[in-house]
Amino acid sequence: MRRAVILLVVFALVELLRPLGSAGYGSQALLTFGFLILAAYTVGEIAAALRGPAIVGYMVAGVVFGPAALATVSPEALTRLAPVSGLAVALIAFLAGAELRWEELRDRGIALLKVMSAELLLGFVALAGTLYAGRGFVPFMRGLPAPQAIAVAVLVASIAIVHSPAVTMALLTETRARGPVARTTLGVVLLTDVVVVLLFSGTLSLARTLAPGAEGSGVSIGTLSWEILGALLVGVILGGAIAVYLRFVNEELLLFAVLVAFLGSEVARLAHVEAVLTLVTTGFVAENLSHRSRGEALRHAMERSAAPVFVVFFALSGATIDVAAVVTLLPILVPLALVRGAAIWAGTRAGARWARLPREVSGNLWLGLVSQAGVAIGLASVVAEAFPTFGAELRTLLLALIALNQLVGPILFRRALVRSGEAPARPGLPSAVPAPSPPG
Amino acid sequence: MTSGLILVAVVAAGYIAARIAVGALARRYLIVSGAEYLVLGVLLGPRVAGLISASVLDSFGPLITLAIGWMGAVIGSEFHLKRMLRLRGELYQVAFLEAILVVGIVGGALFLLFTRVLGVLPADAVAPATILGAIAVTTSSSGIALAARRLARDRTARTPLLHQLQVAGGMDAAVGILTFGTVLCLVHLPPPGDIRPPTPTEWAVIGGAIGVLGGIVYHLFLGGERDPDRLFISLAGAITLASGTAAYARLSPLVPTMLIGAILANTARNRHEIVQVLHRVQRPLYLVLLIFAGAAWRVPGGAWGLPLVAFVLLRLFAKPAAARVATRLSGMSRVIGGNWGIALVGQGSLAIAIALNYRIFDDSDLSNVVFTAALVSVLATDLLSARVVRAVVRRHHRRRLPLAAAGAGAGPPER
Repeated sequence: MRRAVILLVVFALVELLRPLGSAGYGSQALLTFGFLILAAYTVGEIAAALRGPAIVGYMVAGVVFGPAALATVSPEALTRLAPVSGLAVALIAFLAGAELRWEELRDRGIALLKVMSAELLLGFVALAGTLYAGRGFVPFMRGLPAPQAIAVAVLVASIAIVHSPAVTMALLTETRARGPVARTTLGVVLLTDVVVVLLFSGTLSLARTLAPGAEGSGVSIGTLSWEILGALLVGVILGGAIAVYLRFVNEELLLFAVLVAFLGSEVARLAHVEAVLTLVTTGFVAENLSHRSRGEALRHAMERSAAPVFVVFFALSGATIDVAAVVTLLPILVPLALVRGAAIWAGTRAGARWARLPREVSGNLWLGLVSQAGVAIGLASVVAEAFPTFGAELRTLLLALIALNQLVGPILFRRALVRSGEAPARPGLPSAVPAPSPPG
Repeated sequence: MTSGLILVAVVAAGYIAARIAVGALARRYLIVSGAEYLVLGVLLGPRVAGLISASVLDSFGPLITLAIGWMGAVIGSEFHLKRMLRLRGELYQVAFLEAILVVGIVGGALFLLFTRVLGVLPADAVAPATILGAIAVTTSSSGIALAARRLARDRTARTPLLHQLQVAGGMDAAVGILTFGTVLCLVHLPPPGDIRPPTPTEWAVIGGAIGVLGGIVYHLFLGGERDPDRLFISLAGAITLASGTAAYARLSPLVPTMLIGAILANTARNRHEIVQVLHRVQRPLYLVLLIFAGAAWRVPGGAWGLPLVAFVLLRLFAKPAAARVATRLSGMSRVIGGNWGIALVGQGSLAIAIALNYRIFDDSDLSNVVFTAALVSVLATDLLSARVVRAVVRRHHRRRLPLAAAGAGAGPPER
């Protein structure tokens, strides 16, 4: 409460100074950045005090101080702070990869694949089917001929099934949960991230064939293969280089952590490979090739440098939420979100039974898969560019759905971790299920 | 090449170069690391290799401003009153007099040079001359710290002179920052819009208020937080906001963040943790600041050689002379001797921060001359500053030994 009052004082002071300044040399972006860190941190603390996830607080701060409400964060400042989001995604991906151990993948990889494939298949079919069946209720789908309606339905479904590695990692970092539910959720989320790139490229090509007027051409198999295999290759090279650094230098890890994240995302961009997969592979290779204590030291340094970046990343995500669009589209969004949730629940139950996972995992896993964030937003923008006729409206619908899942997902995931005893009910308390020591 | 990749490349190259080439030399031969990043920046900048273009420099503007602000907070956190009060007051008197005299000598002489020799209008010459005075007063604190650590191995570290040098380093930084901040208030451009432009006094009050109110507010905000990660987030937010606010109001971020650092260091229960977090983040930011400062340099136009040489020579004269006069006026000659000012000739990152900050606000030829002078002075003096400090302290120690043996030495500086 004290911090909230202080935040209001800071807000008043910043507003008081606004007429006196000018936005040269990125000073406004810096001002916004600083304010956003404090605001998001404060609201995050309030959320944590209310036994909710802090990242929901960060996002709420973004909504409140973003262009949709108080406009302390202007759209220009959001653009200028975009590299921070890029850095956050890179750090998150590296951390996620570093969480995975080779022994664990070897032992549980098949089980994770089973859960993922059941969940993805059911989710995709259910969402595409629901949207096609209810196209009369969606404004921009009402007059569309059947092939185009199918194109829209499969595109929405291929984006709606995406999960959020960012939210998963942020929650795991916040709660320090490392039990079976946490690790299975992370595994499924990361695997889905790889498969979704393939699936989305396929559906985009299909949609381009079905819907006339689309811009660009279909994605070739060669391009797609390079995007995935190239990412693995670049990730292995980078990860190997990091392991060498840790072996022979092993100093200035905080600086090194930020450099790795920057370098990985830039190299991925230049090589036209999938950035998240590159960083996940980098983290995985670096962690598994290094001596355990050194790998842990780097991971800890990354977690430290990621802490303020997480705060700003989720606050910026909140600031980009178009509240008005979400409210307008609620009649469509709620059924879509419910169908998505039900499909995830049914898919994970079926997959978990197939993989013979323990009850506590199969019962809680779906709660960790509701969140959506960065990757889905990126794909929605691709769709908007590819289909000028209905792309903008489709993007608004997708962003509204993502926003809803983004706000609800972390609450559900935290609930799953608390229910399974892997995270404490209140911050600071010990969890019932301690983090297992890594194998090997 | 993209800006992100450039940053990664330069920082990585800088780090590796410093670690492999200079790191070993620095440890062995007591060389202060830092100037090599400036050279690296010049080499990568638009004037030589062109890897860091003007647009890249602009895109990293917020990071540079943050690095300057962070430096101010670190300097401010050194002003811990409880620790400062353990030393006798005369040390502060000497340091303050020395600092003021250097600003006066260098600033005054360069003002005369600009107006009488180079034909610059007095109104245009006041700011660059005074800022050069502010830059001249700053001393390489890392040189003093490095020498102190090395001297701590023998008993030489316990001489009053080393305390005097440490006090003078801090005082020089404070006087330099405040002088620079005051000049920016005096030459402040009117804000956009229809509002009445604040007077220089009002700008100074605004700058001070950002620091004082910020310090109080953040003290309350941080509370007794001891978790390093949470402390890091809060401090990063506080310093970023203060730096951004000051830069937005076209004021120096150094003044408010120095005040915030000082307030937090003196009022927070978790002072130790705060200082630790500040120092942990300072190094990467310092590295980025130096590299981009080097890249931002451009060859000044016109008769720039004269003020450049004049600045370096004037400073080399003013530091020892001012120290001698200040010591004599304070009656401290018997305790610390009269030649200790030579130990203050080393210049470090603060000089660069002030000069770069000035260049951000004023892109004129004169501001570029100021920036170039700071760059040259740092390149010429920073590298060997620790060796100079050590030599001066050792010589003073050797001279004091016979006096101490005869029982004629003054009492220890600590109360």
